[in-house]
Amino acid sequence: MLKVIIIDDDDIMVFLQRKLFQRCGLAKDPITFKVASAAIEFLKNEEINQHFLVLLDINMPEMNGWQFLDILKKMKISKNVYVIMATSSVDSYDKEKAGTFSNVIDFMEKPISIENCNRIKEYLFLKKIFTN
Amino acid sequence: MPYKSVPLDILVIEDQPGDFILIEDYLNEEQDIIKISRAVSYMEAENLLKSSTFDAILLDLSLPDEGNRETLTKNIVILSKNAPVIVLTVFADTGFGVKSLSLGISDYLLKDELNAVQLSKSIHYGIERKRIESQLRESENKYKNLFDSSPLPMWVLERCSSRILSVNDATVDLYGYSREEFLGMSIKELWAGTDEPETEIMDLIKRDGFFKLNISHRKKNGEIVHLKIQSNPIIFDGKEARVALANNITASLEAKQALKNSEQRFKALVQDGSDLLMILNFDGKLTYVSPSSKLVMGITSELLIKYNLFEFIHEDDLDQVKESITLLHSKKRVQIPSYRIKTSKNKWKWLETILTNLYDDSSVNGIVANSRDITEFVQQEKELLESLKRYNIVEKATSDTITDYDVQNDVMHYNEGMELMFGYTRDQISTKGSWWDDKVHPEDAERVKNKVDLVYKKGHGNLQVNYRFRCADGNYKYILDRTYLVTNEKGEPIRMIGSMQDITEIHNYIETIERHNDRLKDIAWTQSHVVRAPLSRIMGLIDSLENFEDMDDQAQLLSHILTSARELDGIIRTINSKTVESISQSRKC
Repeated sequence: MLKVIIIDDDDIMVFLQRKLFQRCGLAKDPITFKVASAAIEFLKNEEINQHFLVLLDINMPEMNGWQFLDILKKMKISKNVYVIMATSSVDSYDKEKAGTFSNVIDFMEKPISIENCNRIKEYLFLKKIFTN
Repeated sequence: MPYKSVPLDILVIEDQPGDFILIEDYLNEEQDIIKISRAVSYMEAENLLKSSTFDAILLDLSLPDEGNRETLTKNIVILSKNAPVIVLTVFADTGFGVKSLSLGISDYLLKDELNAVQLSKSIHYGIERKRIESQLRESENKYKNLFDSSPLPMWVLERCSSRILSVNDATVDLYGYSREEFLGMSIKELWAGTDEPETEIMDLIKRDGFFKLNISHRKKNGEIVHLKIQSNPIIFDGKEARVALANNITASLEAKQALKNSEQRFKALVQDGSDLLMILNFDGKLTYVSPSSKLVMGITSELLIKYNLFEFIHEDDLDQVKESITLLHSKKRVQIPSYRIKTSKNKWKWLETILTNLYDDSSVNGIVANSRDITEFVQQEKELLESLKRYNIVEKATSDTITDYDVQNDVMHYNEGMELMFGYTRDQISTKGSWWDDKVHPEDAERVKNKVDLVYKKGHGNLQVNYRFRCADGNYKYILDRTYLVTNEKGEPIRMIGSMQDITEIHNYIETIERHNDRLKDIAWTQSHVVRAPLSRIMGLIDSLENFEDMDDQAQLLSHILTSARELDGIIRTINSKTVESISQSRKC
């Protein structure tokens, strides 16, 4: 079973993405974190065989998206965590940087659209997990 | 007979009256004019011989007062004053008669066989022989004198062995060997060098006939003398010999060599030298031109000498040259300042000439002009002057501070920039290098010093360095320093010439621009992250409203849109005020 996590400090954005994920059938009840460090703590206590899809904002107070990725790649669970970067920035530098992290499978500009959600569902390796 | 008429004075030493009368008869018979004296004893004969001179003496050996015939004969010969002594003897004494010949008598006659003719003949023969002997002795003495006291060295050597048989005083003086050392020495021992053909000379010595040659001999002290020798064959003490006359030509040879050297020097200096030498008169007519005219003017000396020198001189310089020549009437030596002379290619060359009036020297009889081609020098001087002029203009025109540092003497010179740019007064400025070092900002000092050290180490090249330099009022100015190092031929630093450009303004501009850049980056970041955050939210909310019409919480969505729109408005206002602030700040700079 694939668990979907949304990390974003913006309440309205979390509300929107949560709704969208539900409508598109990506996740019935995505787990949401306003603070990235809380998500790290959560992942630490999860089963090693559990798979996660993380929608990650970049620009956040305390711990930003990059710092989250730096910590994640050192964790045991890392290989089962698939990250989609979601940013309101149109800076191409961010997209290039995202490519350097093996956990990142996609980079999306906010707002996330239905088309974006359908694209996520088309990832073959996720499809397998979804059907489970 | 011819000698009959010659008057004779004869002494007859005879104690027997009979014998005397007989002799007297014989003498008178053969002689027209004769004076006969008689001595009857040795004593009487001695007295007569001491008081007078005789042409001939007839001696009877049996005298009453002298019994020893040998002593008697010897004494009479000694007393004879070179007159012939004829001994009259009896037959029994023939043996002694023969012996007496060796005692110096001229003849002996036997009384028993005596006749007038024989006696007369013996007397005349004796007289004649004595005369010839005396002439010969005189001639020998003359010759001996000539040899011994000759001022020229002379020696006699044996032809077959080349041994020296006799030397004169001049030879002893010349060589320093004593007469004893010379005798028995071979002439070869005197030969000095290897350059003489020894065998040929030995051959000449052995052969008969006159020869002369030049040869070098070594003296006892090792010195070499050059001799001209004339050698004649003679018989010396019965040996085949040669007498040599030596003429010491050492001094004349040395003088000749010195003259030759001097001539060669002259040739080297005048003919092959690069200076142009001419002899001319006051009107410029040439009487001598050295071959270097070809080198200097491209015209051969043979051709140039046909012209007047003045024809080749630039018309603007001609008066000055003529004036200089006129000065030679009162001055021995005059230097003509640089002037132009035409070459074969119709080009001008600069010459510098020293004129010497040598009319009083008959071998010259004119003015000697010694000229040097200074074209290159004049050209360089011109270029140098122009370059100096340019430098002075640049120095005045530049707003930079020019520094000129004498590395070895630690003396620094500045142009007025040090006063105008940094505000120091003349009194405040020290020429010590340390004064300058002290003004460099402490944070820059080490970097500047390292750069300067590197240039010293490399020994050449340019130095470009930025630093801050303290003004008289304590503020710092930003300086771009470009310095050039001048080294001597050993590569050691001599001078450092540099310009200090005030780049404070440029530096401030750069700082302002950099600050602007930071602000622009800030604005861009804000736009991309902060502005888009509420905007993307609004877009997302509207998208939701559109796609999900059945959404039950539409009121909540609309409220979120309003909140986001306000947030966006606030952000845009902040950006605007930041931009305005940034612009107003940059205007202040």
